[in-house]
Amino acid sequence: MILKIAWRNIWRSRTRSLVVIGAIIVGIWAEIFLMSFSEGMVKSYIDNAIQSEISHIQLHQPDFLKDKEVKYVIDDASSLQQALQSTAHVKAATVRSLSNAMIASAKGARGVQIKAVDPANESAVTRIDTKVVEGEYFSEGKKNQILLGRSLAEKMNIKIRSKIVLTFTNLNGDITAAAFRVVGLYETDNTMVDDAVVYTTRQDFNKVLGGGDIAHEAALFLEDPEYLDTVFSVLQAQFPNLKVETYKQISPEIALFDSQMQLSTTIFTVILMLALVFGIINTMLMAVLERIKELGMLMAVGMNKARVFFMIMFETIMLGLVAGPIGLGLAYLTVLYFNHTGIDLGNWSEAMRQFGMSRVVYTTIRPSMFTELAIAVILTALIGSIYPALKAIRLRPVEAIRRI
Amino acid sequence: MKNIITKGITKVYNPDTIPVVALDGVDLEIEQGEFTAIVGPSGSGKTTLLNIIGGLDKPSHGSVTISGTEITKMRDNKLIEFRKEHIGFVFQAYNLIPVLTAEENVEFVMLLQNRPSAERDQRTTELLEAVGLGDKRNTRPAQLSGGQQQRVAVARALAPKPDFILADEPTANLDSKSTENLLDIMARLNHEEGITFVFSTHDQRVIDRAHRVITLVDGKIATDELQNPEK
Ligand SMILES: Nc1ncnc2c1ncn2[C@@H]1O[C@H](COP(=O)(O)OP(=O)(O)OP(=O)(O)O)[C@@H](O)[C@H]1O
Ligand SMILES: [Mg+2]
Repeated sequence: MILKIAWRNIWRSRTRSLVVIGAIIVGIWAEIFLMSFSEGMVKSYIDNAIQSEISHIQLHQPDFLKDKEVKYVIDDASSLQQALQSTAHVKAATVRSLSNAMIASAKGARGVQIKAVDPANESAVTRIDTKVVEGEYFSEGKKNQILLGRSLAEKMNIKIRSKIVLTFTNLNGDITAAAFRVVGLYETDNTMVDDAVVYTTRQDFNKVLGGGDIAHEAALFLEDPEYLDTVFSVLQAQFPNLKVETYKQISPEIALFDSQMQLSTTIFTVILMLALVFGIINTMLMAVLERIKELGMLMAVGMNKARVFFMIMFETIMLGLVAGPIGLGLAYLTVLYFNHTGIDLGNWSEAMRQFGMSRVVYTTIRPSMFTELAIAVILTALIGSIYPALKAIRLRPVEAIRRI
Repeated sequence: MKNIITKGITKVYNPDTIPVVALDGVDLEIEQGEFTAIVGPSGSGKTTLLNIIGGLDKPSHGSVTISGTEITKMRDNKLIEFRKEHIGFVFQAYNLIPVLTAEENVEFVMLLQNRPSAERDQRTTELLEAVGLGDKRNTRPAQLSGGQQQRVAVARALAPKPDFILADEPTANLDSKSTENLLDIMARLNHEEGITFVFSTHDQRVIDRAHRVITLVDGKIATDELQNPEK
């Protein structure tokens, strides 16, 4: 009966209840949309970073990680590549020779990192071949080919098919220069990478470095990220002389970014819930004040304080129960929609690319978010109902009835 | 023994600011089966007295004992429970829960008492018939006339089988025909079922129907007389 009264009371002032219900719906919707948007952004950032830069797991000489000197090489790199490639759950593996270099043009000189790669393996891991936007990827038979980031080429005013000179330290510690022909320009979602990394072939670069089948870095891509820890342990046991690292160790900023995003969503959630709490308190307080006489009468005829308290509380929870499913449903549809079509950030895309994010964000969501939010809304309604309900039971029946 | 005994009730409103003495030493005894009117000029303390007898308000001094239980010392929540079992109220207005039908209003207190549903249904039907509203059971208060609402209120007050029914100017908002009608019902319930009614009123025709008339003046009992009701 108390439930029945509570339910009917909600519809006594229809407009007011609908406003609150509407506010809760919009709140839930905005909340889920924002969460899914930031999840999507984090995911795209991580996926981008893993796909085009760091891969899932990397291996280096331990000393190379400390000093980044070219002399800390992995010998017999091709067989390492094959060993990695044939490890279970590894989709693709590649090895690279790395070196810091100066690139010079009429516009001046810049520091870059040379990644000397095996063309086929590299494209299997980082799909760098698909990011060539002008000219072409490495082809057989040509010597000293080089790929530059488009933004770097623009800044240095280097034209495609022109010849450029790179200066670097060779394995003997001598400064060497070598000429390369620009065969293509690439563009990733991260301009910082595009400005700083140039690609050449390992075969040619090892010659000018003065080494044989050497590399500084091995990178591999997994069939599925869920195998990360398994493969990591296997490789660690298999290559005790090399330092094996997962993307989490290589790029702690990924984790940082993730937690930053989570923090801002949490802050948003708190603000939103606070707004909802105050909205609910306000509405329910009005509902209580309007009914002072009636509440006094109920207490006079024997409705005890606990029941009055719960009646007010139920009214509030019911508002949440009506609004909750609608809000969650709408949010689900929206997320589903943008999960398919994506949200084109258009004007923002340049800024996004600075940070290595793609211009289209696909909203993603963990199913647990829905449960969490449903609970949050009920809690919010509960908290919002406490004050008005207390107000109601503090009424003394005589005073309530006497009031005009 | 079902009775109400008040000893020296005094009620002072706003004792700290501008004290108003609403009741000044009221000694009273009301027995089961009475049909008693409390009368007196406006401001003489009728409402205050009924509220204190019914445990809605506390006296500044003195005690109220209902059927052997002193209610003046009870805590709020205990008092609510006590009222639920022993006292029925009919107010001048705002008696009914607007979102419930006549039937549900009558049933309400019985529900609070956890009475079995068969008993509730039977008693609700009985009482609505008794107050002549058998055909209005599914109507909400807003669709009932003032007189009909007061009759539902009487049925509601009777439903939990209280020892006493206290009514503060139950007919003040009613026209003379509805007043007559309500009084007939109250008198019949009093006569046939021995239900005790204590009501305050200004209306001479209502006063004439009472068996006992207590007159308050300035918070004191001026006269307390038995009479043979007309009709
Ligand atoms: N809450 C209150 N605060 C202060 N004074 C009050 C309060 N309630 C009643 N009084 C005063 O107490 C006195 C008795 O009031 P009460 O309402 O009991 O009179 P009444 O006989 O019922 O009058 P009426 O016939 O007009 O209903 C009056 O002087 C009134 O002004
Ligand atoms: Mg009065």
